[in-house]
Amino acid sequence: MKKSIGLVSVVGFALALTACSSNDAGDDSANGSTNTNDSENKSDEVVSLTVWAMGEEGEALHSFGESFEDEHPNIELDVQAIPWDNAHDNLLTAVASGEGPDVVQLGTTWVAEFSEAGAFLDLSDYTDDFDMIGNDDFFEAALDTTEVEDQILGVPWYVDTRVLFYRSDILAEHGYESAPTNWEELKEISHTLNDRGDDMYGFDIDQNDQLVPSIFAWQNGWEYDVEAGAENFAEDSFREAMEYYHSFFDEELVQESEGVPIEQGFEEGTKPMFMSGPWMVNIINNTTEGIDGDWEVAVLPGQEKNASAIGGSHLSVFAHTDHVEESLEFLSFMSEPDTQTAWFEETNALPARQSAWDNEVLAEDEKLAVFGDQLEEAVAPPVIPEWENVAQELLSSLERVNRGNAEVDEEMDNFQQNAERRLN
Amino acid sequence: MNHRNAWTPWLFIGPAILLLLVFAILPIFVSLVISFTDIDLVGLGNWDAIEFIGLENFINLFQDPLFRQSLYNSLVYVVIGVPLVIICSFSIALLLNYATSKLFTIFRVVYYVPSVTNIVAIAVVWGFLYNQDVGLFNFVLDFFGVDPVPWLEHPFIAKLSLILLAVWKGLGINMLIYLAALQSIPNSYYEAANIDGANKLQKLRYITIPSLSYATFFVTVTTLIGWLQFFEEPFVMTGGGPLDGTMSMALFIYQEGFQYNEFGYAAAASLVLFILIIVVTMVQFTFNKSDKD
Repeated sequence: MKKSIGLVSVVGFALALTACSSNDAGDDSANGSTNTNDSENKSDEVVSLTVWAMGEEGEALHSFGESFEDEHPNIELDVQAIPWDNAHDNLLTAVASGEGPDVVQLGTTWVAEFSEAGAFLDLSDYTDDFDMIGNDDFFEAALDTTEVEDQILGVPWYVDTRVLFYRSDILAEHGYESAPTNWEELKEISHTLNDRGDDMYGFDIDQNDQLVPSIFAWQNGWEYDVEAGAENFAEDSFREAMEYYHSFFDEELVQESEGVPIEQGFEEGTKPMFMSGPWMVNIINNTTEGIDGDWEVAVLPGQEKNASAIGGSHLSVFAHTDHVEESLEFLSFMSEPDTQTAWFEETNALPARQSAWDNEVLAEDEKLAVFGDQLEEAVAPPVIPEWENVAQELLSSLERVNRGNAEVDEEMDNFQQNAERRLN
Repeated sequence: MNHRNAWTPWLFIGPAILLLLVFAILPIFVSLVISFTDIDLVGLGNWDAIEFIGLENFINLFQDPLFRQSLYNSLVYVVIGVPLVIICSFSIALLLNYATSKLFTIFRVVYYVPSVTNIVAIAVVWGFLYNQDVGLFNFVLDFFGVDPVPWLEHPFIAKLSLILLAVWKGLGINMLIYLAALQSIPNSYYEAANIDGANKLQKLRYITIPSLSYATFFVTVTTLIGWLQFFEEPFVMTGGGPLDGTMSMALFIYQEGFQYNEFGYAAAASLVLFILIIVVTMVQFTFNKSDKD
C-alpha cells in the first residue's frame, strides 16, 4: 500500500520516458545524416520523426510506416507505442516539459482538454499546402472534434461509433423480423424479451459508459450549445432522454448489477440486445460459439434521429516540434483513402475518410455497412475541456436515480448545478 | 578523521538522500504551493495562467459532498480495517509460531503470497468471486440457502468487501513482522514462567503481548498510514462506486488530479490527507510514550 511512492515513481518514470524519447530523436538524426551520404536524397539530412501511437495502433504502425518511409526517403519514422493506460499521463508530462513527440495520436475526447494548454499546432495556417486539413471528405462529426474555436488541431485518422447488436434469432422467435428503429419499438421489444423469464433481460446498458446518456439525448433532438453552458441540461429534450434512460432500470428491463460479461450474456441469450462499437464484432466472433449468423448489427433506434456517438483518434502535430513540414507529410499520407483502407485491413480500425468506404473491402461487408450508415448520423461529444468531468457527474447522478431512488427531475436539477460548477 | 574520510559517509547516503529530496521532499513542497493556486492543464503549459487563490480550494473542498463522503469512507476503512489487520496478523503469527514443521512453513508462504501478488490480477479474480449473479461466494451461500449478497453493488457492503480483500492482502507483511518479533523473545522468560507454574493464557498475557509491544506499535503506525491512503483496491475494483460508497481520499485526489486535471484542487486535498496522517501518527507516538512512562 505504498501509494505515494508508487505515484512518485510513475511520474519519475514518465519523466524518464520523455527524456529518452528526446535523446532517441537526437541519436537517430545523427545516424541518419551519415546514411544520407550513401543513398541519394533530395535533402542532405534525414529527419527523424517521432510518432506516439497508443495501444494496438502503436504496434501495427511500426511495420505499416515502412511504406511511408519508402515514399519519403528523407524521413525516418520513430514510432513509439504507448499503452492507453499511460497515454494521458505521458501527454501531460510532454505538455508540462515541452518535450514531446512530433506527431501524436489523440483520442477524440482529449482534443479540447489538451488544446487549451496549447499542446498542438494549429493546422489552419497550412490548409493551402495540405488539402487533407479540414477536408470535408472526412465524416462531419469526426471533423467537428478536431476544431476548437477556429483552430484545427488535428486530422482524423480512424473512427468508431456505437450501433445496436441484437440476436436476430431470438427477436424472430418473438415475431420481430427486424431490429427496432425507434424508442417505442426498442421499449416494446425489450419488454417482450424481458418477459421470457426470471434471469432474462430485454436490453443492456453499460452504466459506466459516459456516452450512453448523451446518445439518448442526441437521439431525442438535444444539441449541446457551448454558449449556453449548464443551461443545456435544463432542456426538455435532455430531461426526457434521461427519463427514458432511467425507465430501463425502473421497469427492470436491464440488469442493474454487474452480471456476466456482455458477450457471454449475448451468447446465452439473456441479454439479447446491447449497444457497442466495432471492436465488439471481433470479440463476439472470437469468444462465442454457436451464434454465428444468429446476430446482426443495426443503426441505433432513435426518437428525433438515429444518433450515435463518434469516437476514434486523430493525428496531431505537437506544438514544440521542429519538423512541421515532415509531420504534415506524414498526416497527409495517413489520411489518403488508399492508406486508410490498407490500415483498416491491418487493424480493423474504421476509416475516417468517407471515400475510403467505397473500396470493395469495406463496401461488401454487410455489418460494416451498418457502421458506415451510423457514422453519417453520429454526433461528436461537445469539444470542451470540462466535458469528461460533466459526463462523469451525469453518470453519478443517474446512478443515484437508478440505485439510490432519487427523483429524476430533482437529481437532474442537482446535476445541472454541479455541471455549472464544473463549467466555470 | 581526516578531510577525505569525512566525505565517505555522504557518499553512502548521498544517492538515497538525493532521491528522497527530488522525488519526495520537493514534490511535497511543490504540492503545498500549488494547493493555493488554480493550476490546471492550461496552467501546466503556460505558467502565466496560474493564479493564487488563497484558501479557495480548501473552502470548496469542505463544501464538496464527494470529498466529505471520501473522508467518511476513509474513516470507516481505518476504524474497521486497522484493528482487523492487527488482530488477524497477530493471531496467525502466533499459530504459525507453534511449530516449525514443513506444513507450517508452507502456510507461511500461503499467507505471504497475497502481499506479493499483483493487485490487478487480484482484482480480476476477486471481481469474479464477488460477482452478485455468477460469483463463487454467492454460489456457496446459495447452497446453504442464503440470499445473494450484493458484494460490490451496495455502498456499505462494498466497503466491507474491499476491507476484506485488503485485509487478506495486507496480512502477509504484518504477520512476518510479528513472527520475527515472536522469535526474538528470549526463551528464558517462558522457562521462568513454567517454573512459576503459569498457564498458557497467562504466558500470552504477561510475556508474549508485552514483549511484542514495539512490533505492535510499528504495525499500527504503518497500517494506519496505509489505510488512510487506501487506494488500489477501490481504484481497480469499483472506481469509487456504487454511489461513491467506496471512494477513498486517495482515490478522490487521483480522480481530481489525473482524470479531471484539477491539479490545484487535488493538491489541496492531498495536503488535507497529509496533515491528517501527520496528526494521527503524532497522537500514536504521544500515546506510546505515555505508555512507556
